[in-house]
Amino acid sequence: MKQYRTHLLVCAGTGCVAAGSFEIKTALEKEIGRRKLQNEIAVISTGCNGFCERGPIVVVQPEGIFYQKLKKEDIPSLVEEHLLKGRPVKRLLYVPPAEARPVPKMMDIGFFKHQRLIVLKNRGRIDPENIEEYIAFEGYQALEKALTTMDPGEIVKEIKDAGLRGRGGAGFPTGLKWEICRKVPGNSKYVVCNADEGDPGAFMDRSILEADPHAVLEGMTIGARAIGATKGFIYVRTEYPLALKRIKIAIEQAEQYGLLGADILGTGFDFSIEVKRGAGAFVSGEETSLLAAIEGKIGIPKQRPPYPVHRGLWKKPTNINNVETWANVPHIILRGAKWYSEIGTEGSKGTKIFSLVGKINNTGLVEVPMGIAMKDIIYEIGGGIPNNKQIKAVQTGGPSGGCIPKRLLDLPIDYESLKQAGSMMGSGGMIVMDEDTCMVDVAKYFMNFLRDESCGKCLSCREGTQRIWEILDKITRGKGVPADIDLLEELAVATKDASMCGLGQTAANPVLSTLQYFKGEYEAHIKYKKCPAVVCKGIISSPCQHTCPIETEAPQYIAYIAHGQFEKAYDIILKDNPLLNVCARVCHHPCEAKCRAGQGGKPIAIRALKRAAIEYNSAKKRTHKRLKASGVKIAIIGSGPSGLMAAYDLAQKGYAPTIFEALPAAGGMLAIGIPDYRLPKKALVEDLDRVANAGVEIRTGQKLGKDFSIKDLFKQDYRAVYIAVGAHKSIKLGIPKEDSAGVVPAMEFLTKHSLGEKTAIGVRVGVIGGGNSAVDAARVAKRLPAVKEVTIIYRRTRNEMPAYAEEIEDALEEGINIQFLTAPTEIVTKDGRITGVRCTRMELGAVDESGRRRPLPIKGSDFLVELDTLISAISEQPDLSFLKKDHDFEISGWNTFVVNKETLATNVPGIFAGGDAIRGPSSVIDAMADGKKVAKAIDQYLRNGEIKFEYKVTRPSVYVEPAKLTVKETLESTRQDTKKLEVGKRKQNFNEVDLGLSKSGAICEAKRCLRCDLEVKDEDEKEQK
Amino acid sequence: MINFILNGLEVQAQEGSTILEACKFYGIEIPTLCYYEGLSPYGGCRLCLVEIGKGENSKLVSSCTYPVEEGLIVRTNTKRIVNARKMMIELLISIAPQSKTIQDLASKFHVTTVRFPVRHEDCVLCGRCVRMCKEQMQGGAIGFTARGNKKKIETPFNVRSEECRLCGGCIYVCPACQLRCQGPDAKTDLCSGCLSLEPTCIETHDDYQCWMGTTGDCGTCEGRPDQIKKQMPDDR
Repeated sequence: MKQYRTHLLVCAGTGCVAAGSFEIKTALEKEIGRRKLQNEIAVISTGCNGFCERGPIVVVQPEGIFYQKLKKEDIPSLVEEHLLKGRPVKRLLYVPPAEARPVPKMMDIGFFKHQRLIVLKNRGRIDPENIEEYIAFEGYQALEKALTTMDPGEIVKEIKDAGLRGRGGAGFPTGLKWEICRKVPGNSKYVVCNADEGDPGAFMDRSILEADPHAVLEGMTIGARAIGATKGFIYVRTEYPLALKRIKIAIEQAEQYGLLGADILGTGFDFSIEVKRGAGAFVSGEETSLLAAIEGKIGIPKQRPPYPVHRGLWKKPTNINNVETWANVPHIILRGAKWYSEIGTEGSKGTKIFSLVGKINNTGLVEVPMGIAMKDIIYEIGGGIPNNKQIKAVQTGGPSGGCIPKRLLDLPIDYESLKQAGSMMGSGGMIVMDEDTCMVDVAKYFMNFLRDESCGKCLSCREGTQRIWEILDKITRGKGVPADIDLLEELAVATKDASMCGLGQTAANPVLSTLQYFKGEYEAHIKYKKCPAVVCKGIISSPCQHTCPIETEAPQYIAYIAHGQFEKAYDIILKDNPLLNVCARVCHHPCEAKCRAGQGGKPIAIRALKRAAIEYNSAKKRTHKRLKASGVKIAIIGSGPSGLMAAYDLAQKGYAPTIFEALPAAGGMLAIGIPDYRLPKKALVEDLDRVANAGVEIRTGQKLGKDFSIKDLFKQDYRAVYIAVGAHKSIKLGIPKEDSAGVVPAMEFLTKHSLGEKTAIGVRVGVIGGGNSAVDAARVAKRLPAVKEVTIIYRRTRNEMPAYAEEIEDALEEGINIQFLTAPTEIVTKDGRITGVRCTRMELGAVDESGRRRPLPIKGSDFLVELDTLISAISEQPDLSFLKKDHDFEISGWNTFVVNKETLATNVPGIFAGGDAIRGPSSVIDAMADGKKVAKAIDQYLRNGEIKFEYKVTRPSVYVEPAKLTVKETLESTRQDTKKLEVGKRKQNFNEVDLGLSKSGAICEAKRCLRCDLEVKDEDEKEQK
Repeated sequence: MINFILNGLEVQAQEGSTILEACKFYGIEIPTLCYYEGLSPYGGCRLCLVEIGKGENSKLVSSCTYPVEEGLIVRTNTKRIVNARKMMIELLISIAPQSKTIQDLASKFHVTTVRFPVRHEDCVLCGRCVRMCKEQMQGGAIGFTARGNKKKIETPFNVRSEECRLCGGCIYVCPACQLRCQGPDAKTDLCSGCLSLEPTCIETHDDYQCWMGTTGDCGTCEGRPDQIKKQMPDDR
């Protein structure tokens, strides 16, 4: 046998082939030939490696170096550097997500390290079209053992004792099925392999057939011996041409080697296998319809009993098993039932192969022992969710299965646990879903699949799936009504109960499962006409407008800018938002996070365009016309964004709102929390004036609880009160000596600074925390003349820091140190004044319920950070010191007001609360949304006594013609980023850092908008009875 | 003879017979649609469901196709069955409300609302015509094509059939072809007329008018669903 010093194993599973692995192989052979290495290096195509996300893949053995995402152009340098000079090419190696260094060896990569390969042990190692390689790795030894040393009864017992359960989905004990079939009298029996694999997203069986077809043949032959069958069929779906090709080659070769056909291994046992092709129907994966299809009849399920083990193909006893089940058999026979039964759990033995797909970093095929936690598959093997998104659910079992929500991720994977949770193991499809997945849409997707694939015989399945789909479709178009949920549940139960076969009986599972765990999403669609994941077109129109808490008509103002009509753009913005200068500078733009242009590209700079509309509109600054005040007085406590918005809207509706502000200046967090370099005073004052001109009285220096009480307000004929006091009290650090001199809470520091009061600050400043107030405090401190060094101390990593990414970037640019994975343990003082803080380094441990890795202290990693000022900014809470001891309000554990989510009413009639006061530190725009909502609520409350909102789907108020782009513009368009003040020019001043877009830059950027709003057309629907 | 338990009674049936046949023998009424005496059973309409087994392992099966088994426990009117049956009828009405057969089922089993948009089709895919043509008339001119919500009954490739002898057997057995009295442009989806317990015609005529063959002509059945709701207790 020829000896090579190196083997290059080129993955040739369908995934890698589609990515070009055959070309890679050719390129390798060519280059190796050119370098005259063909006698030292062998190039072999293998079956699927499993790490399909990273194809084309080449594994260099015997070192085990793993190359991924190869291109033809990489091959010459790979051959030269690695194969000739012995230096693996770093840039072609795998780098785990969110890490920097590559992991060269395959078995060190998390994806591979945590798997346990039994069925897939040959994957990526052998050429599936060469039987000798299979034989070299213990192939057909189990068959030899079974045929020469065991009698059929012993074989069955071995499978029974191993506890193998059907891997096709139902999990019926395989040994039991074999035993029943064996006991049925008759000379003519069949074994069948179900390789129809219809579940969308499942490719386990395909991979087995492509990577190691002989495993299936060997298993079937052993099974045939045990049962007494002489003929076998493999039913492969037509959509698997590579699998079909390889299994046919395998059968031919096995026959040539006397391992299949007549007189196998000279033992006198005859068994032959024929391959049958499917014809494109999901239902023919159901056993009775599969058998009908093999017989040449139409693939429609039949009633059982009689079961196939008694009367199957051509009325003869037939044992049908799934591909993976058959592939387990040789291992059980070779190594014994005891060995097998030690893997897995009590009720679910052995391993299971899963196709891990969806919103996961490491998409691919994984084999794991039963009982592994779902969480470990997602994070250790799967590498977590891409793009820092939050995981939402994991769907298992294909269209017959259900969803496991985020909070149940500790679930062990076995038949019983999954069933109890409302899902099922199924054939092994595992679809990971994140915050951008709409669960109602998922149910609709599966329903659509099932109504097409139903055989159509049973009324309950045919009509049930159709009607369920119709209702789900209606809901996703914003036309759902509350009675739909009850109807869905009734239909689901009827479909489940009344259908004859497994397809119909499990068809309702996607709906039932999503209703069980995500009813809130259904309610959002039906009652509030909102799609939380921002997916359902008929409801959202455009994702930016729908996501915006105040439904700003972003596509419209962007479209006007694209036409150069800045005035019209300005009007659109002003229509819903009086605080436009503020939002144009500090809004955290949730719209950009959902922008469709941002999927696979860069989102539209929606916030910057808002600013451009304000800056480049040549018309005079306008406000709305002031309506005649009705004189009905409303009191608003707090002049932050929530209070200002509420007051403005109430004034528009004709009320006489008065804002009571405790501080000497108006604006709330806008004035004291957000420093000038982010929000210049001039911009804020312009917006404050706009609100005042609308008919709002703002009284500063009026503190609730000190200068007046709520009772006073009602006595003075204010008819309703809106409490919008924000969250201005910094939370204590909870470490010793934090009351020492030099330790100051962030809010106190920022407030004093913005009011122009002197702040006692030293030279070396530390900030504890990772949110916006921490970064703001740090950047303010850095600008103060006395300060030389600023360090932020944060206990997690940069990825997890809650502050807005752009802020963190700016802070680092400005020379602020950030110590990640660091937590303070003790404040060190001298004479009662801080001299430093003791910290410990943290490392990320296991993933907790929130889906984040929990930071754990590293023992013995204590170190001292020398400081003379420490700003504590871990979080804030509302300051409720104004409440009397015997107040009636319901307050939460976080010191926030508890309100009715829909109306913002507190439990005290006539008093409402909103903004950070109910939510804790949050965003400007969310506070403004509360202000808008409460204005409507107070209006209804005073008019009708009760508050009832009508919700509508998101639609633009005006049609704007799309801008036309030239071909050149389309091809060359890239995101225009705003100009920023150079770092050098930011020192020791508070000048605005973000300088906005140029006029032409704004028009360019606006033209990039994909105009998602134009896709939704509302047809006139006839009234249906 | 096979011994089994039917609605708590110990009964017997010949081996190879179905639960439906046994129920007919013992006078237990089970609604059917796709079942037709003389033709092989199909099991598609899901109206003849019975519950077999007990406790967690009980399931619903179509009695027309399920063979009797020794010791089988069968119940014909459990809560699961009643709910499933009502939903099947509601689905049938929403497909073909103009069918008298289906409207009668609705009246009989107290289906009082139809919550799905009505489609007004003339086929419910019960397959009686297919089996009539093949088994009784030895023709085999029509059959099922496609699957799922696109399933249809037609001639192969939808071309004029040479096997069809125009015997009319298919129309004869078709439940959708037996029209309800108010015809295809009925005012309401659910007529609840013919099999209701208190016909309004008795208040104005001496005889129950529908026996006279002028079904609906007396005009007193109009607006029945509301009257039905007033007269019959809401037993949902």
